[in-house]
Amino acid sequence: MLGRFKRLWDAKPMKTHYDAVIIGGGLHGLATAYFLARNHGLTDVAVIEKRYIGFGAAGRNTAIVRANQRTQENLPLYKEALDLWPVLTRELDFNLMFYNCGNLNLAHSEAALKAMRLQVASAQFQGIDSRLLDAKECRELVPALDISDRPRYPIFGGMFHPPGGIVRHDAVVWGLARGAAKRGVHIHQGTSATGIGVEGGKAAWVDTDRGRIRTPRVLNAAGAYSAGLANRFLGQRLPISVLTIQAMVTQPLKPLLHHVVSSGAYHCYANQTLKGEIATGAHMDPWPNYTTQTTAHYIKHQAEAVTEFLPCLKGLKFMRTWGGLADMTPDMAPIMDGHSPAEGYYLDCGWGYFGFKSSTVTGKYMAQYMATGECPEILKPFALKRFEEHRLMGETAALVDYTANN
Amino acid sequence: MNRLKHLPTLRITPGAARSFTYGKHTFEGLQGDTVATALFANGVRVFGRSLKYHRPRGLYSLDGECSNTLMEVDGVPNVRTETTPLTAGIRVAAQNVMGRPELDLLGVLDAFSWAMPAGFYYRMFHRPARVWPLAIQQIRKAAGLGRLSPDFRMPGRFDEIYPAADVCVLGGGPAGLSAALAAAERGLRVILLEARPWLGGAFEYRAADDGDGVALHRKARDLAAAVAARPEIRVFTQAPAIGVYSDGQVTAFQRGGPDQSFDERYIEIRAAAVVVATGCGERPLLFEHNERPGVMQPACAQRLARTWGLLAGTEAVFSVGHDLGLEAAVDLFDLGLKVAAVADIREDGQDPTLVKALAQRNIPLLKGWVARKAHGGNRVTGATLTSVNGRFHRRLTCDLLAAAAGLTPATGPLTLAQSQLAFDPHTGYFLPRTLPKGLQAAGRLLGLESWAAVTASGRRAGLQAAADAGADCQAAIRESEAALRDLPGAVRGSKFVIAPGCGRKAFICFDEDTTVKNVDQAMAMGFDVPELIKRFTSAGTGPGQGGIPGHNLPLYVAQTGLSPDAHPRPTTARPPLVPTLLATYAGAQHDMSKRTPLHDLQVACGGRMERVGVWTRARRFTDDPRCRTEILNVRTNVGLLDASTLGKFLIFGPDALKALQRVYVSDMARMTPGRAKYSAMCNDDGCITDDGVVVQTAENDYYFTTSTARAGVTVEWFRYHTRYDGWCYHLVNLTDAYGVLNLAGPKAREVLSRVTTADVSNAAFPYMGYREMAIHGVPVRALRLGFVGELSYELHVPSSYMPALWDLLMEAGRLEGIRPFGLEAQNALRMEKGHLIIGSESEQRTTLHDVGLGFLWQREKADQRLVGAAALMQTERQPGRLKLVGFKMADPSGPPPRDGSPIVDARIRGYVCTARYSFTLKEPVGLALVEDGLAQEGARLAIYEDGCQGQLTHAVVTPYPFYDPEGRRLRQ
Amino acid sequence: MAFTITCPVCGPRDGYEFRFGGEDKGPRPEAADLTPAAWCDYVHMADSRPGVQKEWWVHRQGCGAWFTIHRDTVANQEVSLNLLEAAE
Repeated sequence: MLGRFKRLWDAKPMKTHYDAVIIGGGLHGLATAYFLARNHGLTDVAVIEKRYIGFGAAGRNTAIVRANQRTQENLPLYKEALDLWPVLTRELDFNLMFYNCGNLNLAHSEAALKAMRLQVASAQFQGIDSRLLDAKECRELVPALDISDRPRYPIFGGMFHPPGGIVRHDAVVWGLARGAAKRGVHIHQGTSATGIGVEGGKAAWVDTDRGRIRTPRVLNAAGAYSAGLANRFLGQRLPISVLTIQAMVTQPLKPLLHHVVSSGAYHCYANQTLKGEIATGAHMDPWPNYTTQTTAHYIKHQAEAVTEFLPCLKGLKFMRTWGGLADMTPDMAPIMDGHSPAEGYYLDCGWGYFGFKSSTVTGKYMAQYMATGECPEILKPFALKRFEEHRLMGETAALVDYTANN
Repeated sequence: MNRLKHLPTLRITPGAARSFTYGKHTFEGLQGDTVATALFANGVRVFGRSLKYHRPRGLYSLDGECSNTLMEVDGVPNVRTETTPLTAGIRVAAQNVMGRPELDLLGVLDAFSWAMPAGFYYRMFHRPARVWPLAIQQIRKAAGLGRLSPDFRMPGRFDEIYPAADVCVLGGGPAGLSAALAAAERGLRVILLEARPWLGGAFEYRAADDGDGVALHRKARDLAAAVAARPEIRVFTQAPAIGVYSDGQVTAFQRGGPDQSFDERYIEIRAAAVVVATGCGERPLLFEHNERPGVMQPACAQRLARTWGLLAGTEAVFSVGHDLGLEAAVDLFDLGLKVAAVADIREDGQDPTLVKALAQRNIPLLKGWVARKAHGGNRVTGATLTSVNGRFHRRLTCDLLAAAAGLTPATGPLTLAQSQLAFDPHTGYFLPRTLPKGLQAAGRLLGLESWAAVTASGRRAGLQAAADAGADCQAAIRESEAALRDLPGAVRGSKFVIAPGCGRKAFICFDEDTTVKNVDQAMAMGFDVPELIKRFTSAGTGPGQGGIPGHNLPLYVAQTGLSPDAHPRPTTARPPLVPTLLATYAGAQHDMSKRTPLHDLQVACGGRMERVGVWTRARRFTDDPRCRTEILNVRTNVGLLDASTLGKFLIFGPDALKALQRVYVSDMARMTPGRAKYSAMCNDDGCITDDGVVVQTAENDYYFTTSTARAGVTVEWFRYHTRYDGWCYHLVNLTDAYGVLNLAGPKAREVLSRVTTADVSNAAFPYMGYREMAIHGVPVRALRLGFVGELSYELHVPSSYMPALWDLLMEAGRLEGIRPFGLEAQNALRMEKGHLIIGSESEQRTTLHDVGLGFLWQREKADQRLVGAAALMQTERQPGRLKLVGFKMADPSGPPPRDGSPIVDARIRGYVCTARYSFTLKEPVGLALVEDGLAQEGARLAIYEDGCQGQLTHAVVTPYPFYDPEGRRLRQ
Repeated sequence: MAFTITCPVCGPRDGYEFRFGGEDKGPRPEAADLTPAAWCDYVHMADSRPGVQKEWWVHRQGCGAWFTIHRDTVANQEVSLNLLEAAE
């Protein structure tokens, strides 16, 4: 085991034809490539990535995984995703470091408790472990919580979801890349897509800055850049706002938080990484952006917010803050679709800040979609058509504040 | 430990002792000490243990670039003792130690470092799977530095300020000082930030001179005094910049103390121009055991002596690559340190004066030599030097190995400001290739070293910043540039060198125990750019961030040739540049919420106040969470509700009606004077966003109310949806200017008639009527509405009269049994009446049709391109939507289902919005959103409550309103 | 990153005083014969291209004016129209 320092994935020469081309070397793209090869024997696959794999949201998210979404369309997908971590760890022979610590989401009002009750009961109805706790039980779980009436928004209770936790996001990138490459997938880093070609209504090629690749299947899995690429390459317009989302970590510390803690009212989460840092974040500036620069406003806001309900954290220091991009849809649910505007063109985007936790299972089903050409049942509710059919998903109960339409 | 005395550069006050505790010891330091220098003075050499291998670590630099000297101080973990002033009585403890720092039981881990190569955790502990949960707990315990109690409460006073300036200068060395003076001379307001407690930068402790006989420390202090004398310059010392953003935004924090009004404060500056003059640090030298206690940077040893009077050892070996290193050796020799040898990476190019000075002192200078290994454990006992070509070795005895590869510029602020840096082979620095507008760089970070060049560069940058800030000083800028050209330019830097055969214990990142070998391993696995190596090996992600590895990692990666980056690229710096307490960022943390004019009166009546959106409101007035008394009193007598949070607006002007038509679904042209019109607003999805009443008060003149939640966005909403039209109307938000009392209950009329002479009879003031009247001379807009289902009057009065009106009505209603009621009672009352609250009975995707208010939409109205019209048409008969229904329980003796409970069959079909036991109807009633297939009267609803374990309860869809469906009580 | 927006009434102010109002899509279409696809295109769809776009903002914590600016969504910076024209 030691002493072997082989490349995790090799740089292969780029061919002029592949059975499938995936734009975007993030988690969704790599997972799709992996499952195309693993489940469908489709190994003649290229993943093209403008920077290096995991450069985007895959390496910038805070690695929280959970399956306590609001709607029944979303729940099974996330549940399967959650169940996949240990499976993939074994299968990829790469420690994804799934830390199954559970997630505690705090409620700071009667209305929030009501919303949680729907979430908790919906999860239970689908056989997912999720529980409603009162404030005292929350504090037993997380002794650092201040459950007095001192905070601006006192804690009314919480939703505890034991199966959730955190996963080492970089490990997933590297593990999937290695797994895919082993099965023959080509990973082309430093390669930009510059166009998608359509012939007779069918996807026919992908142009890159290293030349044209002919292919009958193209997946647009470029994360935050998906919408812009779809627009530029195919004139496709999508209901997507790309926002900058920020996160930060404190200096490392011996174990203090044993669960992921989050709060809607304060709009933040906090969890302790395996390295001991307290990772916290969630804020998004509510206007479209392709910058990953951070703001003074937010790091200050975050300190104010997180120390309201975890006051002991005031004795810690922020060490690093960073930004990533989240492609938000009006209903906070993703778009997974295919064959429009061209047959053989597939789309997997609009994940907002749920893209990490769902990545592997999405890859599995998008691979099935691409291999068979038939949309798997579980993905059908996520079609783009839902927006013009007035069927928003209802993942968010309240109005979302980043579009002008509310 | 004896201190050097009578040096003109000392910053300690001899005789001013400060005692403190370290572990079980009580130590004494001096005023002016940092915690680290005080510990050092008391003989402490091992300050803590490293993260992974538990290696002993000591004082290395004095500006806190690494975690070596992070300690727990008064319960706060990870305190940078090198930059923390010593105060009397503090308690200091070492971190990450099992036992004592000098004898750490986990120190044995160092022997097993071979078993922990780069990224080992990705390749271990997961086979077999059952090992992993156990391994996690061990990994967590081993990881992290410092401890924090969950009950810890940060003591101290934290503040925040937001000063503005024309020019903000980062760094109080001669370049920064000169820049500040130059800008101030142009009459501009300047803010200068300096991390250390004093000004002067890298010059204020140097006894050398520039050949003119005046010691540098003297010059530095004179310049600092000149800056202090300028009223235009606001100097913040002990204030490191932590963030530099676009548009001249700079953040910092400042350490205070007992003499100030704060212990630490957050500073956020907006300046028209920014000058970065943060100077250089020393670039760590890579060799075996390059972080043993006793290995320190030459400037560290020199400043210990010059500033704090402490000799860092008795006999030293120097391994340097820069003239300042040679100067430190000479200076420390003169202060009493024995110097066995000085190795210099450079074959030539040394300052001849320094070479001569070394020779005069019989200190051997080994040109083209470098340290290969430090010997010893808890303390350095010797050093092996080698010629750069690896052919010759010498082992020397020493207890101090002063080592640095040269200098490295403190470019963090430039990177944060989006300046592009490029590697410069002459200096060996990452130098700014482009500077964004409004940003200037000056001084040593450009490679300059002489006093004259550094100050001239500062002056030029200050003038350019002044010009960026609008001053007219082009001529002066040209002069300053000419002056700078005549002075010595950037100094040649030393090559990047690692002594041959090094790597296994040559630490590139101290904080994460990342060795040169780990970097090799990562590259072999395909991680070939510095950012990926950082992620895989953790180098540069520890408490000191890029402080130690920031420069060496890219150089090393480029040199190996394995990376596509043949030209070294700097790693990313991210805010905060100096780790900053959350307490400091959080600052004063003022709690702000809006209070209604009746806040205090309601509290006096026993009101339980709660945050609701931006407001603080009364939830209830008794201990009973179900509010039985409050509810029944409204149904039988009369209650008083503070509804001041309702949105209240005036709209007037020639196009006011058009604007109303655009956003309200009803035909607002069909209004009757003196009558209120109830209507709703939708968004473009046809989803309901607001409801309220509108009254026409005169021609082109309307008054309307919105829900509390929408009050803040209503003006924006109107203006947004009419932004292309150029209509002329005024929209005035009176929400805060007016308060509202809702006087509700069958006896409301008696109470109201006691306080006004206006005719409030049913005939004169009917249901849905609007009247302007006077109550004791106070102008009142009165609306006869019935949200809670009873005869009620909504009285809108100027906020300042609200307390008086409350008192009047409470007094007037005494006989009728008037009592206040709160939000919870209102919620139950309105629900019985089947009135909805948007957000409670609707969600984002709920249309006007879905909640049964489709009748409000008057589609035939003159088309004003109503917001939501298209969606209202398209969804009107759409199947499969969630519809609002009323329900009663199949078993009326059971409790009501809890709000939010799903309604299920084989799948989820909807959920309970609001359900309450109705004290009026003596059974539970509720409202729910269910799929249209279940929305028919009599449909049976199966409710799945959380924790029910599959035991469903059942309800039956029932028409609503449940209470007074004919609406007689409203009209009585 | 700091962000400054120039309000036509109040001048340059901190970006957080403003609220974003969407890409500029032109006046509202007539509802009567709008197809669902056309409706959706106007209401929900966007170009979302990285680069300079014309967009609406409101000075929420200021004068309340709605106005358009050109902004580079890659740098998150307002772009002066004069500069844009000069570049074309």
